Amino acid sequence: MKGKELKSRDIDSLFNGFLRDEGSIILGFKKDTITIGHHVFKGNIKDFSLINPFFNANGALYFRRLFSKGSRLLFVLRPCEIRAYVELIKLTQMEREGMIAISVDCPGTESVKETKGMTSLPEDIRDYFKEDTPKRWACINCREKRGVVGDGGIRLDKDFNMWIIPYTEKGEALIATLEGEWTDVPQDMAIKQDKEPEVFKTDLDMLKKDLSKCILCMNCRDMCPVCYCVDCVFNTDEYLPKGDALLNKILRTGEVDLPQGKELFHLIRMYHVSQTCVGCGACEEACPQGIPLTKYFKGISERLQGLFSYMSGRDFNEPIPYTTFKEDELKNAED
Amino acid sequence: MAESIKNKNIEIVGFACSYCSFKASEMAGSLRMKYPEGVKLIEVPCSSRVDPAFIIKALIEGADGVFVAGCHPGDCHFIKGNYYTRRKIAALKEMFNAFSIDGRLRLFWVSASEARRFVDKVTDMYNNIKEKKK
Amino acid sequence: MRIGIFICHCGHNIKSTVDIEGLKGHFREMVNIACVEDYPFMCSEPGQALIKSSIERLGLDRVIIAACTKTLHQDMFKNLVRDAGLNPFLLRRVSIREHCSWTGEDKDKNTKKAMRLIRAGIYSSAHYEPLEEKQVEVNKSALILGGGISGMSAAAFLARAGMDVYLVEKEDELGGHVRRVGDVWPIRERGRDIIEGMVKELKTLDNVHIFTSSRLVSFGGSFGNYEAVIKTKDGEISITAGGVIVAIGFTAFDPSVKPELQYGVDKRVVTTLEFEENMDDLPLKEGSRVAILHCIGSRDDTIGRPYCSRICCINAIKTGEKIKNHIKDSYVESFYMDVRSHPRGGEEFYEDTQEKGVLFTRANISEVIPEERGVILRGEDTLLGMAFEREFDLVILSVGMSPSKDNHEIASLLKITLDKDRFFLEAHPKLRPYDTALKGIFIAGTCSGPKDMEESINHGRASAVKLYGLLNLGYAFIEPFVAYVDPKRCSGCRMCEQACVAKAIKFDDNLHIVKVEEAACMGCGLCNATCPSSAIALRGYKDTMIDDEISALTEAV
Repeated sequence: MKGKELKSRDIDSLFNGFLRDEGSIILGFKKDTITIGHHVFKGNIKDFSLINPFFNANGALYFRRLFSKGSRLLFVLRPCEIRAYVELIKLTQMEREGMIAISVDCPGTESVKETKGMTSLPEDIRDYFKEDTPKRWACINCREKRGVVGDGGIRLDKDFNMWIIPYTEKGEALIATLEGEWTDVPQDMAIKQDKEPEVFKTDLDMLKKDLSKCILCMNCRDMCPVCYCVDCVFNTDEYLPKGDALLNKILRTGEVDLPQGKELFHLIRMYHVSQTCVGCGACEEACPQGIPLTKYFKGISERLQGLFSYMSGRDFNEPIPYTTFKEDELKNAED
Repeated sequence: MAESIKNKNIEIVGFACSYCSFKASEMAGSLRMKYPEGVKLIEVPCSSRVDPAFIIKALIEGADGVFVAGCHPGDCHFIKGNYYTRRKIAALKEMFNAFSIDGRLRLFWVSASEARRFVDKVTDMYNNIKEKKK
Repeated sequence: MRIGIFICHCGHNIKSTVDIEGLKGHFREMVNIACVEDYPFMCSEPGQALIKSSIERLGLDRVIIAACTKTLHQDMFKNLVRDAGLNPFLLRRVSIREHCSWTGEDKDKNTKKAMRLIRAGIYSSAHYEPLEEKQVEVNKSALILGGGISGMSAAAFLARAGMDVYLVEKEDELGGHVRRVGDVWPIRERGRDIIEGMVKELKTLDNVHIFTSSRLVSFGGSFGNYEAVIKTKDGEISITAGGVIVAIGFTAFDPSVKPELQYGVDKRVVTTLEFEENMDDLPLKEGSRVAILHCIGSRDDTIGRPYCSRICCINAIKTGEKIKNHIKDSYVESFYMDVRSHPRGGEEFYEDTQEKGVLFTRANISEVIPEERGVILRGEDTLLGMAFEREFDLVILSVGMSPSKDNHEIASLLKITLDKDRFFLEAHPKLRPYDTALKGIFIAGTCSGPKDMEESINHGRASAVKLYGLLNLGYAFIEPFVAYVDPKRCSGCRMCEQACVAKAIKFDDNLHIVKVEEAACMGCGLCNATCPSSAIALRGYKDTMIDDEISALTEAV
């Protein structure tokens, strides 16, 4: 695989070069002395950071439903965020035309909920990759920490030299603006391919127990990057009746626990995102009750995607499994 | 919900394609074939109309089992609908399997002429679930 | 909401296993129920009058008829509701006969089930909306597949009634199997002569277009305007036809499937058809010994043909009689399971033939052994319970009817169904024997199961009359169960568009939502099930309707 070696100053010249065009923006991370987080750069990339060790939300959320043609956007984000973008592009929730997505090797992240502050970030990129920092469950169990998705990736070899590698023609055009020769990228990388996830297995009682704290605030849904519907079915009375509809239901069927329909909400949402979930854990991050949602959503979606040899966000051209079929498949699903 | 779980009867909700399985069920009735009264049908124009959310809802609301019955692969009145059904049901079965509630969702192919097959399939499912519930 | 519930006893069919009074008491207690009525036969005139007057008197806005299944009497009930001033799509049929009283034995359990089924109807009909059937013009023409006696009979009727008829035959001449019959019982005419007479008649009619050596290669459209492509010897022709009659006949059973019969191995084993075609070529002479075997390829589970072919007994009797009449001092023995000579005059013919000296022996033939001196039959006389071995000069197999080899192809092109024996399936075995599940597509003749000539002709004519009745109106109504999009809720993810088989969903780039082309929508509801927010929905089968049915079927009663 060919790519270009990337020195610190190259990052500036590459991205500032991109921003030189009027109307071009970059979504990445900005780091100053107090905070680090998602930032949209315009004009130049002052205080740009390739890596953010704290997770608050999946950056793909921010530019969902971007349809304006002719705009130029560059996303330099974590693999899970780029994968969510790829899914959103398949779902035409973004204009593919002017968008370039670059994934960056990710050392894993800590929850912003857990950390006391974001001071004293290391200067040296290799310090991010130390094993001793606490990590979120989603990151420990991540199935793709490598910057191998999107139009291009920024990778670190085992000696912590940075490489930028194109995966599509778009990525290649961007990287071509960078000086330097195309060379073979080293095989041995700082972040290796993750093991195949274990097959998730649980039971309904466990889910009920975990959901006992749920208040149905639906923050998990609202912060999910791939829960893209402009109007969710759960906003209606259909599955989660409220007011008159709830009273009607109670008169018909008797007592109910409130909030009513917790399992229904999570299970149906789990099915809805099953092929597009990237397992980033944004839902769990958003949950005010600390419910371990990631293990369910990530576990279920990996099993359901595995059924169709599909992996969300891996490839722009892989159709979402529910929109297609093969005539000769899944015989064991028939009874 | 609470009451129907306490209820000892086995409740099975079936979604039946109006072009095949529903017709088979009509024929089963006309031929006075017997099957457990816990089996109740919802007619849909095609098995592909069945939104997996319906199935989740039925199980959460107290059904002991849910089945989706459509035309045999290749025989769909809407040409390809049942292939999509198979994908969705396979995914849902995988999900239920992860939650250790396998066996409560089934996918049948029953053509309009297969009244006997319809009765056999639903009776078998009923007995199976009843056995497990003991 | 003012809901009226009408519970039918169907004589004793429902009443004897469902507690009607219990049901009435239960539903009277429910909110929004304006009336609960019962009657021995809702489909009878007084039953209809009861429904109609209730709608008018009480101003009902939902009508629930709990009776037989919705495929029966649906048009009648819809018209009734319409006549009473209510939109017919606010009618809900609940099947408490085919799906309840006939399938369960316990009255108590049946009553509970019926309660839930009716509840499901009430809950889901609450979400019904008045709909209008769309009127479309129909093409007054018919496509007839198969130019055998049945297809030709249908063609002649329709053409005389003034409709354009496209008659498609795969062979190079019309006539099918009848053309090969040398002696049509009981009129004792040649099949060829009958066919030639019919062909002559068809040729005098300008509006009959005959395509021989032709096949159907593609098929689409809907009732009134079916689109077909016919591959003829001069290339492909596209036609639009209002309706279709499938009359592609049968394939004669090939006895070589049963190797113990030695058919195709020994020339002294022939079929009744071969005998009919040319008796003179066969090794028959004065004093010949001939065996006739019944039920070859019929009533035989081992080869997947459990049905009776209906014509072979008469064929066998006729064959025996003919040999007796023509071959002096011949010995003819017919081996049967039992003789089914059901056409009119068949029984007398059977007796006459016996009197002429044809011997009928009830037997199972286990083996045919060809030897130089003759063909040995080995079997068991099932009346005497004794094994026997007899020698014959000629063995004639009375072969049955097998489904045509083209059935599967035609069924999948037309999207109609085959039954378990691979014959075409009728919509209802008693009430709608010529109809298929698709409007305007009929089946005629032996393609829907074994028939004799008379039955095939009647079947062809009956299908023609039914099709004429549908098309003669000049217009048809299309059910309004098509998908529609809520533009405010559509996210424009295009999942439905990718999945839609009918390609009826189009993406609007400016509004970033999808739109449904109603004329192309087939109404399967796949889009509805694919859309996570149900922003695209199928009329008549909306999420809320089905969800409420689920609630009704799972909640306690």
